[in-house]
Amino acid sequence: MGNKALNNFLICGLIILIVSFFPLVSNNFSIRFGTDILMFAVMASAWNIIGGYTGYASFGNVVFFGIGAYITAILMEKAGLHFGIAYLAAGGAAALFAVLIGLPVLRLRGHYFAIATLGVAEAMKALVQNLDITEGNAGIYLPMLDLPVRHQYYFFFYMMLATLVLTLLVTYLLLNAKLGYSFIAVREDEDAANSVGINTTLSKTFAFALSGFFTGLAGSIYAYQQAFIQPGPAFTVQTTVQMIVMAVFGGMGKLFGPLLGALCIEMISETLSNYFLVAHTLFFGTVVILAIVFTPKGMIDLITQHKFGIAYLLQNIREHRI
Amino acid sequence: MAILEGKNIIKRFAGLIAVNNVDFHINPNEILGLIGPNGAGKTTLVNVIAGVYAPSQGQIQFKGQTISGEKPYRIGRLGISRTFQVVKPFPGMTVKENAAVGAMFGAGGKKTSAKEAIKKAEEVLAFVGLADQINKHADQLNVPSRKRLEMAKALAMEPDLVLFDEVMAGLNFSEIDQAVELIRKIRENGVTILIIEHVMRAIKNVCDRIFVLHHGEKIADGPVAEVLNDEDVIKAYLGRRYKELTH
Repeated sequence: MGNKALNNFLICGLIILIVSFFPLVSNNFSIRFGTDILMFAVMASAWNIIGGYTGYASFGNVVFFGIGAYITAILMEKAGLHFGIAYLAAGGAAALFAVLIGLPVLRLRGHYFAIATLGVAEAMKALVQNLDITEGNAGIYLPMLDLPVRHQYYFFFYMMLATLVLTLLVTYLLLNAKLGYSFIAVREDEDAANSVGINTTLSKTFAFALSGFFTGLAGSIYAYQQAFIQPGPAFTVQTTVQMIVMAVFGGMGKLFGPLLGALCIEMISETLSNYFLVAHTLFFGTVVILAIVFTPKGMIDLITQHKFGIAYLLQNIREHRI
Repeated sequence: MAILEGKNIIKRFAGLIAVNNVDFHINPNEILGLIGPNGAGKTTLVNVIAGVYAPSQGQIQFKGQTISGEKPYRIGRLGISRTFQVVKPFPGMTVKENAAVGAMFGAGGKKTSAKEAIKKAEEVLAFVGLADQINKHADQLNVPSRKRLEMAKALAMEPDLVLFDEVMAGLNFSEIDQAVELIRKIRENGVTILIIEHVMRAIKNVCDRIFVLHHGEKIADGPVAEVLNDEDVIKAYLGRRYKELTH
């Protein structure tokens, strides 16, 4: 390991340590808000694996979130299993679903892939609304976490934090392994990737499965935290849009981009809705548009390249012909 | 025995027959030139060999093994690598990473770790003359360098046979001569080469044998001097003025 890598590891460790202390000095509302940010950071980072690194913009990633949530609900409520088992099964089921759906859908490219994944998520919602085991639109109540309230907040915060660290660590390790190179090669030119000996179908499916796995884990924690799950909120396309906006805002195809995106977007959205009860989505939309226009490579590019001048913003506009 | 052999290869696109009943072979360590007018079916033939298309009819054998109908990545791993006429670098990667990807997944990929692949990439890039540009992004390279990168990617795969599809188009005379030198060196390393080219200066200088396609059919196959004086080849491709100019 080089000096630079070691330094980065130390910095990351320090940040994780600081974030770990956050709940101890915060009120319940702030802990809950922090847990939400972490959840979206997990999902945006998971989306980044398929959308950012592999170049397949999935518009249906919420399906993994919903599957993770429902698997957890069913295993805990109906089978009486422990959360730990349900948590892992949720990730596994979402990954398996990604493989099954990925084999046909990943043959499509660009817009066609986006539309197909959107369709998959909507179809799954309809299915869950009509199955007996999922109790249709009525939804499922989960057993409550048997801890004092304050400790419940701790539990979910630290579960989300651990899941985020796992997601980023796995992504980091992949990037330095052959598999990570194959993802990026597929994104950059799929035909060329195939011709240099990359089994592109396998790479894409693996990326999609990983993306599904981590999103499923987030869904699992979410379901346990809410203690109640319904098809509407579990499979809403809004969640997918949030993942994508966060990943793009922070920086697609960058390890920490989606994390930064989740942090910024949640903060901006929360602040705006405090000041403008009704019109905050309008302001929010404007902020997102400005960010995409001026920093299409994401906030992370702004920070890592130390480019804070107006020249950088203008250069981006020129390069992207706006 | 030929390293690559195709028998009765036909490739149809709906009503169009792009390659029509072509037999070909390449001997080990040979440099075979594939020429013919635009639309003759040269690139289609390369795509059939590389697995982009399965032949509509016929069989291709590589080192005694049938490869027709295999996927491109399987053929790449078996030891055939190719370049693209319209170059296909991975633009967002550095030059070094581009070549490293070839080393990771090509014929030598199984036994090469990601770290070793980066090292191998540096060697190959030095070999093709891109040593001073390895940290640039691929989309920052000029045309001759992009062609070299395309060759480096193919060579990093440790192939037994490379298919060079117009790697000299767009190069000036001195760049062409450098490329010819490079191709000779590649052959000295034991690699067999199929080269598609319109640049006759290169074809004449580097090939052992020439194979001519016209309207998807083979019209000549033989030693360089013989084929370039063949009446059919002159009529179909070179043109009468070529003979006057070169004699």
